[in-house]
Amino acid sequence: MANDREVLREIWDGKLPICFQLDQEEIMEIQQPDPFYVMVPRLSYFPLVTDKMKRHFLRYISQENADNEMWIDYNGQPLKWHYPIGFLYDLYCGHDPQLPWTLTIHFSKFPEDVLLHCPNKDVVEAHYMCTVKEADVLKHRGQVMSTMQKKDHNQLWLGLQNDKFDQFWAINRRLMESHGDNEGFKHIPIRIYTDDGSYSQKLVNPKNADGSRKILQQMLQELYPDKPDVKLRTHGIEIPTDTPLQWLSEHMSYPDNFLHLCVC
Amino acid sequence: MSIKMENCMNYEDYENAARKFIQISNAISDGWTLHEGIDSHSLHLRKETFLRIKNEEQDSLIKAEYVISYSTSYCVPIFAFNLWNSNGVLLTLEEIRNMAFIKISQGDFYSVITQQEHPLFFRPYYMIHPCHTEQLLSKFKAESKNLIVTFISLISPLIKFNLPLNYAM
Repeated sequence: MANDREVLREIWDGKLPICFQLDQEEIMEIQQPDPFYVMVPRLSYFPLVTDKMKRHFLRYISQENADNEMWIDYNGQPLKWHYPIGFLYDLYCGHDPQLPWTLTIHFSKFPEDVLLHCPNKDVVEAHYMCTVKEADVLKHRGQVMSTMQKKDHNQLWLGLQNDKFDQFWAINRRLMESHGDNEGFKHIPIRIYTDDGSYSQKLVNPKNADGSRKILQQMLQELYPDKPDVKLRTHGIEIPTDTPLQWLSEHMSYPDNFLHLCVC
Repeated sequence: MSIKMENCMNYEDYENAARKFIQISNAISDGWTLHEGIDSHSLHLRKETFLRIKNEEQDSLIKAEYVISYSTSYCVPIFAFNLWNSNGVLLTLEEIRNMAFIKISQGDFYSVITQQEHPLFFRPYYMIHPCHTEQLLSKFKAESKNLIVTFISLISPLIKFNLPLNYAM
């Protein structure tokens, strides 16, 4: 069970200051638009927090692009909206923090070989629920999600979308429970990313063969036997290598129920 | 639906089915190729081809890419594809729905096929959601000679995909 409420709250409250700038090529007015500054929750997704920013820039661009899908890049790297904002920051800026995080906005040349299309927020919700479902298949063979009602699924999503900690955790705690006699999930939903954007998702057991709790260091030895110094970052911090995986999964997973860890 | 272990296809079964599949493809020159990534569980089948779409409104050529790989979470094969028109523009889900061999409502179609980041290539593909695959395959597991063939034949009406009969023999 996710019992360390202060940790959950601290992670939920994590925010990032962002400075959005319109790509110079998009600007059709003589007057330059002001950059748009905003503080966003680390756990949220870009399409959920960019409505105002989009309206701010729309009047400066060519009207024929106004209905196009907006997209965001950092240093020429298109940002994948289907990952949490804080994770994207850790991935591309974790080694060299810069605040506010300066990002560029585009309304044309959508890089469809890199980014998923996101015509509306329903697509974000569908993608989110799909990921929670996969995490539950790994943890409980999908039993928790399938016994929940539609209104529970909605509450989970609305809690995240509207930044309501209690509403979200009232449902999410059920996804963080262990079932059966043994304390722990069947597998830990975990993805480990390198900054070229690739990741590895392996079946990871929260326990060692002798039944003891598996710690991060032991998992790293299994996954990277020839690299003794791998360090991982999530939510802006380097994870201590003696952290038990089960605790990590219950407390440091993103709202999609996956641990998204970046190789430092 | 929760996952029942007896419905799962373990990786060894998948690998055997994939190797048999490629033998048939090679024998009839169907164009599939077998690839192995660096990671374990990354064996996948890939095919690039062209489709001709001919109806009252249009006669056009479409480039298609198909990939079959394995989901370690759901323990089933995953089918992914991309289709581009002759200008190199990716077809939308709606255009793909209109091409299907069967008439299917938007809601039903969109709940089965979504655009996702491919777990082996990290770029967008249209994918048949694996949680439906597990339910589908469970009904055929006992009789199927090759689960990959069964799997493709079940989804082919949705995406205008022709599987030669040779695979069933």
